[in-house]
Amino acid sequence: MKALEVEALKKVYPDFTLGPLSFGVEEGQITGLIGRNGAGKSTTLKAMMGLISCEGRVRVFGKDFSEEEFAVKERLGYVGGGFRFYPAKPLSAVARAAARFYPHWNEETFLHSCNEYGLILSKRVRELSEGMKMKFSLALALSHGAKLLLLDEPTSGLDPLSREDFCDTLLTLKGQGVTILFSTHITSDLMRVADHILYLSNGKLLANEPLAGLLGRYRVQRFASFEEGHAAGAIGVKPTKMGLEGLVTGFEGREATLDEVMIHLEYAQKETI
Amino acid sequence: MKALLQKEFTLSLHPMAIVFLCFAALVFVPNYPYEVIFFFSGLSVYFICMTARENGDLLFTCSLPVTKRSVALARILTAVILQCALLIFTALCIGVKQIVYPRELLVNLAANSANLAFCGFGGLLLGTFNLVFFPLYYRDPNRVGIPFLIATAVQFGLIALMIILRHMPFYAPLTVPDPTGWGAKLTVLLCGLTLYAAMTFSAARLSLRTFERVDL
Repeated sequence: MKALEVEALKKVYPDFTLGPLSFGVEEGQITGLIGRNGAGKSTTLKAMMGLISCEGRVRVFGKDFSEEEFAVKERLGYVGGGFRFYPAKPLSAVARAAARFYPHWNEETFLHSCNEYGLILSKRVRELSEGMKMKFSLALALSHGAKLLLLDEPTSGLDPLSREDFCDTLLTLKGQGVTILFSTHITSDLMRVADHILYLSNGKLLANEPLAGLLGRYRVQRFASFEEGHAAGAIGVKPTKMGLEGLVTGFEGREATLDEVMIHLEYAQKETI
Repeated sequence: MKALLQKEFTLSLHPMAIVFLCFAALVFVPNYPYEVIFFFSGLSVYFICMTARENGDLLFTCSLPVTKRSVALARILTAVILQCALLIFTALCIGVKQIVYPRELLVNLAANSANLAFCGFGGLLLGTFNLVFFPLYYRDPNRVGIPFLIATAVQFGLIALMIILRHMPFYAPLTVPDPTGWGAKLTVLLCGLTLYAAMTFSAARLSLRTFERVDL
């Protein structure tokens, strides 16, 4: 079953157009939404939450967002770019205010999550590290029984150890049946946790496939010159520290990382323009 | 809506909003432009909106299971609750003043006298602020200052007009202490409160419609 279905999502700005995007997120999977800064990742997530006005349809666990906004939002947990809300308020006050909106809020789950993540409720939001803020957001989302988490750049601003810690948390949540869609430009995190990749470039979906499939399709090959690269049909040939490199399909070259796939595909896009 | 109002009062309310309610007691100052009491009410709304912006309040609230329209309505209702409290406190202070003060001190030489009609003028000033401020604010909630400046300028224009009118002969029944001229004063009071309700209702309708189209 699909936890999230997006159909022809479109938002037009004077200098940027997002979409139309159509994709789905399988239940119980971790899906990474990747793309460079300004590709439209945050806009996509906000559009799905109804935070910006746009065209298209969004269904969460089969429920239409525009028709059943309350029911959909009860099953959703959205965290936009770290928890930057109410920095001067204690965590307990924010949690108490949020709890009133959810009929299925479970105080026991909340306290358990706080305990597990080492959150002290008397602390103020501004006293938390970025990693702890993220965990507070997760604790809030899990306490109202969110089965789909939309996370916007949750790991940016975190040090490598905190990111590792956060990825472990996501894997634990996945084990509990929570579906996660998270946008990031730190693709190494996705290499660890993601099952599926949505790759957004300049507002358009460039790839929508399992991580293994995307990585398996491309290899990185080194070339002596651009001409050699183009003759080999390489994608996005560009200079690197080791010489010229590009993506190729086939068996030659070495395995590509998600970072390399993104960089070379992005480079190829730029060349086309 | 109850949860939204509770959230407004626990997370979004600026402490000065409560302090400004005490400014109703300014009616005890002899010969003072009491109309500024209602300017401070606008200032408290401005502080609430500023604090909300700094706290990322609208984004947080709109991601909760509520509609954007109800989020905007909750903030306007919070302002209405504060404004009604201010009108009631002002009326109470005026009542006490009418009893305690000597009659010669009940006539205000600076502007409107603190009497039954004054709360009607207050309603007009508060309603005007709402009608100008909220629809402009909800066009772009990141810009709080400009809507506040425009709303305040209109409010002060009205106050200036009231001060000028106060010296007109036909205005005399409204300057005397209560209960003299209660018919004219009661008419002003009722008109003021009706206008307050009508202007705030219009402000809410315009704001809700505008905010729905805003990108957060």
